[in-house]
Amino acid sequence: MGAFTSGMIQSIVSALLMGMVFALVALGLTIIFGVMNIVNFAHGEFLMVGMYACLLFSTMTGLDTLASLPFAAIVGFLLGVMCYYGLVKYLLRGPMIAQLFGTFGLMLLLRNLALLIFGSEPRIAHHGILVGRSFVIGHGIVLEATKLTAAGFSIILFLTVSWILNHTKVGKALTATALNAEAARYMGIPTERMNALAWGIGGATVTICGALLVNFWPVDPNIGLLFTMIAFATVALGGFGNIKGAFYAGIIIGFLIYIPTFWDTTTMAIGDKALRGIHLFSFKYTFVYLAYFLIMVFRPHGLFGIKE
Amino acid sequence: MEVIRNIFDLSDIPRKDLTVFGIFSLFLLIFPLIPHSSFAMATMIEFLMFSLYGMGWNTIGGYGGQVDLGKAQYAGIGAFTTAVMLIHWNIPFWISAPVGMIFAIIWSFAIGYPLFRMRGHYFAIATIATSLVLLDVFQSWNFVGAAKGLELPLKSMPSLLYLQFRSDTYYYYILLFLFFFGFFYINWFRKSRLGFQLRAIKDNEEVARSLGINVHWCKIKTYAIATSFVAVVGSFHACYNFNIDPEDIMSLDLSILIAMMAMVGGAGSLWGPIIGAAVLIPLKSYLGSWLGGKEGLAGLDLVIYALIIMIIAAFEPRGIWGIVEKARKRGKI
Repeated sequence: MGAFTSGMIQSIVSALLMGMVFALVALGLTIIFGVMNIVNFAHGEFLMVGMYACLLFSTMTGLDTLASLPFAAIVGFLLGVMCYYGLVKYLLRGPMIAQLFGTFGLMLLLRNLALLIFGSEPRIAHHGILVGRSFVIGHGIVLEATKLTAAGFSIILFLTVSWILNHTKVGKALTATALNAEAARYMGIPTERMNALAWGIGGATVTICGALLVNFWPVDPNIGLLFTMIAFATVALGGFGNIKGAFYAGIIIGFLIYIPTFWDTTTMAIGDKALRGIHLFSFKYTFVYLAYFLIMVFRPHGLFGIKE
Repeated sequence: MEVIRNIFDLSDIPRKDLTVFGIFSLFLLIFPLIPHSSFAMATMIEFLMFSLYGMGWNTIGGYGGQVDLGKAQYAGIGAFTTAVMLIHWNIPFWISAPVGMIFAIIWSFAIGYPLFRMRGHYFAIATIATSLVLLDVFQSWNFVGAAKGLELPLKSMPSLLYLQFRSDTYYYYILLFLFFFGFFYINWFRKSRLGFQLRAIKDNEEVARSLGINVHWCKIKTYAIATSFVAVVGSFHACYNFNIDPEDIMSLDLSILIAMMAMVGGAGSLWGPIIGAAVLIPLKSYLGSWLGGKEGLAGLDLVIYALIIMIIAAFEPRGIWGIVEKARKRGKI
């Protein structure tokens, strides 16, 4: 196997794994959006909270970072529910602009609380079963255990959430609220509580993702915005409120972010000096923002979305 | 003549408001004569800059109801045009600022056309996305200094042509001139044909369209107006700071802050951006210097800031001006 082939396979595998992680980041956002048609600007900050919760838990108890997943989930659920009853409930009465600014305020609050408590230096999980482990398959193709686990959990959580939504009573009530809140209320569904539940589930999935992410991605208080934008792009691509779409869209986003890597592998193989001079790494996320823009202009209901 | 009369026509505004604004204007005019610290002067300049930013945002965001969170890109275009023209061709501010404004307007048309196919939060997020794309481009574009930014060369001071002064007082009066210019422009704008069309769009887009208003074109035009305000202040910012970098002038934080002025003060009212800037800017700079300097308290000022934003968004979405109007309805003021 040549260097080009193995390099390409390596990039594809990495993009695929990261894509699943991005899909998991977006899962919570798309649930919240689907149920109550509100955008949460603080979504990336929820992720950050999950990352810090995991670090805090593993340093305080001395347990592995994987053991902190339930803790992170509880923190995320409580955070989501608290945000709903403390803020979002009031925002819903106001115009759309109030929702934007309200959740934006939440984002500022969480970010600066983190800055106040943890300081600005980046942190990462240093020990754990997964950290630093990797599998070598074939020639120079490395699979990092941390990313593999995160991608695995992403699949599990997606399956769990869609199972809950489709096969349990609570899930059906949630879906009903998403389809038509007023009609759901007439049917005796406590829509208020369903909204809170959506925020809880949304918060829990994203903090779990954060706890998995902190194994290989350093956390600092300003990390949220990047992930919020990635999640927005993913949700837009998959169609707002579409859970299955979010998963596939996440993988597409993963490949978009790995465009510079693909470019480097290709130009390295071609060996052209002029081409190799073009560095795309500073545009890593530009492709994601561009993708959001283009999708919203040309396919406002997402790649897989259905016209209402 | 008609136009000039309309510009200065404030007859639909209650007497009390005008009195307050008159006293405030007088204060602004004589402020440099009152003994003040240089920190207070810097805060006042920032207040004027942000009320101008806010006035610009208020046209599209307040009167038009289109929440734009990407205004910083235009501040960046203005600032970098001024800086580049001064460095490479030695062109004074008074020429480069209009050129920067034209660039910004061209860019606003180019992206406004697709942007306004979206509505609501989709639009808001898309404006952020465009702004971040432009930020990434500027950060790796060597001609405009890439991530390091640009430093303006010093001319023989004081120089009105290049807008370089040792004393902040000169900057203050130039900004004050722009402030009143902007204020009366907005006063004309809100009663212009476009202003009425825009408010119709904000209330109900379908009805506005059925009345024969070209909704898409109206929004794009107003977006360009908002853009020109922001671009000019961006150019001024370059001359005032002598040093610009993309992370500073094109960040999302600036975009949000611009929108916040009008939002907190009261979006869609003549006084909103001015009230917002008068409340938020001193609060920000004094809280920042008071708390930010203390060990272990970095971030507390922004926590307080965030709480204020959340409370206003949750309980009085029409901002401070909304509170005043509510009180007025009850007959208290």
